[in-house]
Amino acid sequence: MSEQSFYFDHGAGAPRLDEVAEAMVPWQHGVVGNPSGMHSASRAARRAIEDARDIVANFVGQPSHEVIFTGGGTESCHLAISGVVREHRQHHEVSDIIISPTEHHAVLNTALALADEFDDVRVRFLDVDDLGIVTTSSLWDNVGPNTAIVSVMTVNNETGVYQPIPVVGSVTAGGVPDGGISHTDAVAAAPWLYLPALTESIDMISIAAHKIGGPVNSGALVLRREIKLSPVSVGGGQERGHRGGTVDVAAAVGLAAACRVVDRERMEVNERVSALRARLEAALRYIPGVAITATEETRVPGCTHLTVEGLASEELLFLLDNAGIAASAGASCSSGASVVSHVLQAMKMPDDKARGALRFTMGRETTKEDVDQLIAVFADVVYRLRGEK
Amino acid sequence: MRVLVAMSGGVDSSVAAALLKEAGHDVVGATLKLWGGASDSGCCSVSDVDDARRVAHSLDIDHHIFNYTSEFEAAVVKPFVEDHAAGLTPNPCIECNRAIKFDLLFERAERLGFDAVATGHHALVESWNGQPTLTRSVDPLKDQSYVLGYIQGPILRRLMLPIGGMNKEEVRVHAERLNLRTWNKPDSQDVCFIEASRGREEFLGQRIELTSAEVFDRVTQEVVGRVPAAQLVTLGQRRGIAPGFDGERRFVASVDLVNRRVEVDRIEAIMVSAIALRPDSLTFAYDEVPNGTRVIVQWSAHGRPVSATLETSDAPRLILDESARPVSAGQSVVFYDAETGRHVLGAAQVGR
Repeated sequence: MSEQSFYFDHGAGAPRLDEVAEAMVPWQHGVVGNPSGMHSASRAARRAIEDARDIVANFVGQPSHEVIFTGGGTESCHLAISGVVREHRQHHEVSDIIISPTEHHAVLNTALALADEFDDVRVRFLDVDDLGIVTTSSLWDNVGPNTAIVSVMTVNNETGVYQPIPVVGSVTAGGVPDGGISHTDAVAAAPWLYLPALTESIDMISIAAHKIGGPVNSGALVLRREIKLSPVSVGGGQERGHRGGTVDVAAAVGLAAACRVVDRERMEVNERVSALRARLEAALRYIPGVAITATEETRVPGCTHLTVEGLASEELLFLLDNAGIAASAGASCSSGASVVSHVLQAMKMPDDKARGALRFTMGRETTKEDVDQLIAVFADVVYRLRGEK
Repeated sequence: MRVLVAMSGGVDSSVAAALLKEAGHDVVGATLKLWGGASDSGCCSVSDVDDARRVAHSLDIDHHIFNYTSEFEAAVVKPFVEDHAAGLTPNPCIECNRAIKFDLLFERAERLGFDAVATGHHALVESWNGQPTLTRSVDPLKDQSYVLGYIQGPILRRLMLPIGGMNKEEVRVHAERLNLRTWNKPDSQDVCFIEASRGREEFLGQRIELTSAEVFDRVTQEVVGRVPAAQLVTLGQRRGIAPGFDGERRFVASVDLVNRRVEVDRIEAIMVSAIALRPDSLTFAYDEVPNGTRVIVQWSAHGRPVSATLETSDAPRLILDESARPVSAGQSVVFYDAETGRHVLGAAQVGR
């Protein structure tokens, strides 16, 4: 077992930022006021939350957008889809949920569960090309008067590939009359993209703190004020009635602190990580049988998704881990076993190719030394598994 | 040695891992995810994986999950279904051992740099005639050498079976001593991919067309009953078969899927003294034994061992010393050394 570790799994969770940890400290010991209370400790908590709300609104959307703090990306997506659909079906005979087949399970399984629960709710899948990008024509074909919500992720969490979010916005926001509400799961996009550029035409956006150096179990749904959502939990009506339960001040403050750092450093980190990725991929391309899944210009800088011909992800990850490299296959099931990814299946990648899928994700902490180590170890592992070493 | 332990989440493999670690080996645990569908028994559920992982944590060893669901489907489940459709009686646990655990897992372990693979089976690998040989467990009630019968020399050289030298009680004592959370977990019994509550009939019924059949008395040729699924009827079976007019028990003498006909007869009329073996299925741990070798055979997991002579001609068969109820085609017979009765020589499938 290697002593040193090299982290290439930012996509699963970015290293917690010092600035985040420090911002959370005052809200993690001693008296932490309940933001709903009447005394000064409560008012202080309330103020911290409202300040955090402003920062998150500016990070994701527009200053006037509403921010609902949630327990992470999955809950944000669930609140968006379930909230809109439950509201929609009170006034419509049929409620369509339109999603891409490459969505994260947070969206995919929420949509399928709603269709399972209600006969009048249907899930319609958009067509995707061989990079998993939704086609413009299928957006125009599927969005119509029965559409409750269109949910397309900003960036795919496994491949790093961008979706045409401005097109989604233009179809729903006026392109098709009564074209439903648009939502984007921006969890994988948040470390890289300037999200307000997308929110002009998108109604709701979900983010998660732990992908940008914040705490886990912290996220937000950012939405236009006029959108009506059925609450996910009622309780005491916190978060403007959308999410009952005491708001976690530390989680909200931590999310905001992470947003602040990403905003401040985005340009510089994008540039640096792009260069690291170029260095990594230039070397990986020399290894026979390694195929990088998407071209550079179609994806975020920090994500390299690839397949290794004839080898299984499980064995690659095992030996990479032995050598101190933390990476991922992109998809795993509830038991922890790696599975053939639904994203790759939607891209019509053959199963035997998809079985050799790996995802290396980088972030602001990744160094040239990390990348060089990965290159050396990865080549060694591939040749060893092929019995050529 | 660097040892990969297959950990099902049960008490046996938990103790196997613990003992190897105590013996100073460099141990890594792996749980095989085999079945992707619903299951309420056996060893594929999230809670079993969880048990294995938590035992590994408590032993301070690494734990991994290896997903073999597509290989399991192709090598175990699909043949299980097809064999039933063809009127055979397959043993999926034997197939899983042969195709997955003692083949794919061993190949993987070698690629990943392990010197040996261990499992929690109740059996031993003993040096016998100078070669590592699969041997019965010291606990006759728990002995699992039967389901491992097809393992061959190259695998036996890298196989460790740490608990074959103790009985179940001793295994549990170890588990309790080590404070393993699985110490009082009940043994798994059934086929892991079939829900006990729903049964074989429903599982197969969703995959193949089960045909009902009329039951005839072989002597009188009168219809004496009906079975809902002829594919599930096994030669020699008594369960579900009504006694004859004379009040004596009847046993299944033949099953004809095409003509939907099951014939039954009295026990003494169905007894056989030879068992035909499928020629291409004959497997030996090392060299093929000479024609006419005296062996002790067993054709079910906890069946009674019977003395026999093994004919390894073009039409291989077993000549039994004492007659027995007929054995269905597709079942496996394991051959043990005639003198020790404990050392496995090989195995074969029963032919038609």
